[in-house]
This record gives sequence, structure tokens and C-alpha cells, in this order.
Amino acid sequence: MRGGAAAGAPTAPGGAAQAAPCGRSGGARRAMMDAWLTSTRRDDRLLIEAGGRWTLAALAELDRRRAQLLAGAPGRGRASIDLQAIQRLDTAGAWLLDRMAHDLGREGWQVEWSGAHDAHAALLAEIRRLPPEPLPPAPAVNPLARLLANLGRSTLAALAEGARLLSFYGQTVAVLARVALQPRRLRLTSLTHHLEQTCVNALPIVGLIAFLIGIVLAYQGADQLRRFGAEIFAIDLLAISALREIGILLTAVVVAGRSGSAFTAQIGMMKVNQEIDALRTLGLDPLEVLVLPRLLALMIALPLLAFFADIMALFGGGLMCVFVLDISPDQYIDRLSAAIWPRTFWVGIVKAPVFAFLIAMVACYEGLTVEGSAESVGRKTTLSVVVAIFLVIVFDAIFSIVFSALGI
Amino acid sequence: MSGANEATAVRVRGLRTRFGPQVIHDGLDLEVRAGEVFGIVGGSGAGKSVLLRHVLGLLRPERGEIEVLGQEIARLSERERYDLQARQGVLFQDGALFSSLTVAENIQTPLRERLLLSPELLQQLTRLKLDLVGLAHDACHKYPAELSGGMRKRAGLARALALDPEILFLDEPTAGLDPIGAAAFDRLIGGLKRSLGLTVVMVTHDLDSLAAICDRVAALVDKSAVVGTLEELRNLEHPWLRAYFDGPRGRGALAAAGG
Repeated sequence: MRGGAAAGAPTAPGGAAQAAPCGRSGGARRAMMDAWLTSTRRDDRLLIEAGGRWTLAALAELDRRRAQLLAGAPGRGRASIDLQAIQRLDTAGAWLLDRMAHDLGREGWQVEWSGAHDAHAALLAEIRRLPPEPLPPAPAVNPLARLLANLGRSTLAALAEGARLLSFYGQTVAVLARVALQPRRLRLTSLTHHLEQTCVNALPIVGLIAFLIGIVLAYQGADQLRRFGAEIFAIDLLAISALREIGILLTAVVVAGRSGSAFTAQIGMMKVNQEIDALRTLGLDPLEVLVLPRLLALMIALPLLAFFADIMALFGGGLMCVFVLDISPDQYIDRLSAAIWPRTFWVGIVKAPVFAFLIAMVACYEGLTVEGSAESVGRKTTLSVVVAIFLVIVFDAIFSIVFSALGI
Repeated sequence: MSGANEATAVRVRGLRTRFGPQVIHDGLDLEVRAGEVFGIVGGSGAGKSVLLRHVLGLLRPERGEIEVLGQEIARLSERERYDLQARQGVLFQDGALFSSLTVAENIQTPLRERLLLSPELLQQLTRLKLDLVGLAHDACHKYPAELSGGMRKRAGLARALALDPEILFLDEPTAGLDPIGAAAFDRLIGGLKRSLGLTVVMVTHDLDSLAAICDRVAALVDKSAVVGTLEELRNLEHPWLRAYFDGPRGRGALAAAGG
């Protein structure tokens, strides 16, 4: 449609200006056909006539016409600009006229105006009053220097962030101790609310994921072990990996994505709305009111969820064994009780409160460091989930090393 | 291009709004003439902002007709609505600047969206808008979160003016500003209206603004609108209007304006 408009535009006497339309505005298309800028030279007099709709829609083309006109008008003398034929003038058009006059003046022309309507003259006077200096350029830097500076800055920021996170942990533990001494300070309503949100409401998704992973583990294990005729040991594989690692790790990742992000966004929005400041001025400690209930709720919820995930994984794997791998339920139960010890279960579940602590701490910390804008809430929420999952996996590795050193 | 009546910028007829069981407007009529500054006042919950959202086409009324610049907005096609939107500018209460963009980028957003302009022209137009609203040039590379409330409003106004609209809608333009800032903002609006020939529709609580720059005022009372000059409204015997204008603040503002 842009090409069509360009081809079909009639040429007004003296060269019609034609705007570059974006292809959407019918108003713009009409406007561009009837805005023009013409000039005639008579000895040392330059007669310039501007007419039509000098609006934003025609600006790009009028600006090109202005540049042509200036290029074709070297010399000095008197230039008169006739505005009689202008039908509509907006700030963009007025700015262009003013700029043209300014440029002509610099070339050595003495500029005079004529024929302007009152409203147009007032607008021109208003525009002329504005300071002419250009905008300051956006601060530009050498890309390599910027890369290095960014690297350095983010390294320092990460270190400082680590230190602050550590101090936040310390503060929280101090608050935890205070509340342990004065249990009345514990906000039970808030705690149960968060328990419902993070534990009860997470049951379906955690259960479903664990169930499916149980199926996958049993099937893949049996598939590989069949070659050795050791299909039955798929149950060992399923039980040990689900109880020791997969159940808790998957649950922690789901909870970090589900509840960790929610904590960060909730606290972050409260920060943006100055609710955190309001709490402080009321003499309430945000750590005690906001962070502690979430932390405790998650530390209670995650072991329970991990237990549920374990059961669902064993259930999913069991169904797979019974219906696909032709292992009878009795055989499955027998093999299961031979493969696992209570210890197998505890090794997995003992990690849950630690992971919960990490997730809740990171989420609340990131929420409290939100500043100012909606964008910041989004960034911190992403960061919270990424950091929480990262820390969970790091600590899982540490647990593995410790357990193997202890021979568990 | 223009409607039957060039002199009417906004016309609302028989507007009825309901949220659940609660009726906000019922049979509301008003007319804004081209080139005037039109104030909309009313108590909290009287539906000032809702009325504005109707006129902007953000809310659909249950019943009634709304015309803006001679076009009935409920009957517009996508394309006609898009064209109409270029002819109206809106300043939301706290500026509603896009927080991930700098001030300059905020102002350039509507320009980039609708026109193909060279970077140089974009820069110049941005400068022009900043100057028009009296914002210092060094603010242009700042993000909205780095600006004060007054500066955010001015930046929001610059964005509203980016496409040189014919009508400017303002939602509580002076709320949250100190009295000096509010008076300066009033002067700015008045000056822009004169120099750019704008029609201005403003929702406000601010009696000083009403007295200083509004040509006519609509008071939203009893689910409908009473329209008139400030002088006319002051002489009406409606309890809410009496309380509004005869309260200590009302009298102070009107006295200051020489009313």
C-alpha cells in the first residue's frame, strides 16, 4: 500500500511533498498529498511558499523538501516565507518552518514571514521561544571497555550480593531465635496460609510429576537391565534413585519455581507499594512478619511434599512394573523391601528442610531488594528462581559428597 | 474527515454504566466544545475515572453513545479507531510511562509506531516535546523510576503530545504535586491549550485547577452530570455542589482566582 500511495499521489504545482506513510493511517495519507513547499528565485529575493497541512504526518517528506530547498539556495539577500496557504499547522510543522528560517539565516539570508494566520503565528512564536540546543547524546562508550566494565561490575556485584545474602541469613536466624524464645510472636495465621499455598496447593503438580518420573525410571531401568536378564533390579534402581535423589530434587525445583517466585513477586510488589516501609514505621519487622512465616511454612511443606513425591514415584514405577513389565505386585513389594532401608528414605528427606531454607531465603531476599518498578519485580523473580535452583543443586552435590564420605 | 458538528469535541449521550448491581452512571449527558478546557469533578466513587475510560474506549458502556471528534467510538472499525487514537493524547494519573524505556524512548514510542522518521527528526521532535512541557534535556536518558512525581507527569504529558493530538485527556493532572508544582502544571496546560489550540478534558479534584484554567465544568452528581461554567455551578442548589464549593477549600480557591 505504501508503493501504491507513492505512485498514485498527484503532483501539486511546484512539487508536492509526500510523506512516508507507515501504511496504516488514512489521515496521514491524505495529509501528505496536500502539504507543499515551493521556492522561486528573483535576483536577490527568494520567495518561499508553504501550504497545505503542515503536520507530523507529512514531516519526513517536508523535511526532505526543506533540505533540497536549502541546497538550491546559496547566496544572500531577502527571503520571504509566505504561510498564507497553510491550512493546518502543528508543532512538528512549526518546528520545521522555524528550522528552515534558522538555516536560511545562517546561510546569509534575511528572513521575513508573511501571511500567517493568527493561530499559526502564535504557535510559531511559541516554538521560536524554545531553546535551540540539541539533546545531549546518550552516553556512548567503547564496546570492549563496556564489556570489561560490565564484567568487573557484575563480579563485584555478585560478591556484594553474596555477602548481603549471608548477612540476610544471619538476620533471619536471629529473628528465628527471637521468635523461638517468644513463641507468641509467631504469626500462625500467616503460617497456615502459606502452608496451604505452598504445600496443599502444590500436591497435584508435585504428585503428577513424581508419578510420571516413576514410570520413566522403571521403564528405562527395565529396558537397560533386560539385556542382562536383571529386569527385576529395575525396582532397586527406581526405589533408590527416587528416594535418595529424584523425589526431593524434583520437588525442590518445582517448589522453587512455584512458591519461590510467588514469594519474590509478593514481597517485591509490597516493596514497590511502600508496604514494607509502612511495616517498618509501624514498628513491625518485615523479617518477622513476612519472611519468617514463609520460611517456616516452606520448611514444613518441602519434607511433606518430598515424602508425597517419593510415594507417587514408587506408585508410578509400581504400576509400570505390574502392567508393562509383568512383575506381580507381590514381587514388587518384596523387591522393594529388600532394596531399601529406612536410611535410604531418610537420606533423601533430610535434605528437604535445607533446600526449603535456601529457596525461601533467596526468594524473600530478592523480594526485599526490588526497587521502584514493575520491571524490577520481574527481573528479581527470575533471578530468585534461577539462584534458588542453582543453590539447591550445589547443596545436593555437597550432600552427596558428605554422605559418601560418611559411607551412607 | 470531521463529523457533522466541528465545534463539538466530545459528546456523551444517555450513558449508563453498571458494575454488578452498582449503577455508576445513569442517563449521563455532556458535551465538550472544541478548544475549551473542560473539567470533570465529583466525589470519590462518582465515576470520574470511569467516565474518562469510557470516552477513551477502554470500557464499553452498558447503554449510551459516545462521540469523540465527531466519530461514535462504539461503531469504529479497528482501523478507524487506530486513526482516532492518533488524534487524542492521554496523560494517566502517575504518567503511566513504560518503566523499561527511557523518557526519550517513551516519547518516541508513538512516533516510531506510526511514522517512518529519520533518527535525526525523532531526536528533534523529542527535544521539541521536552521543551514544550518544560522538562530539562538531561532527563531524556533517565528511566521513569529515576524521576520525581512532577517530572513523571511532564514526561507523560510529552508522550501524550507526541502525535500532536487535537484532544488531550488528563486524569488528575495535579494530584500528588506540591502547590507550586500544581500551579506550574496548570499554567503549562493553559499555555499549551492556547498555543497548540488543544481541547483539554481533565478529571480533577483540584479546585485551584478548576478556577485557574477550566472554561466549563461537569460535576458528576446523582449518577448524572451537571454542566456549566464554574460560576453557574456555584449558584446551583445541590447539596454536594454546595458542600464542594462552600467548603473552606472551595472558598479559598475561588477567592484566590478572583471569583
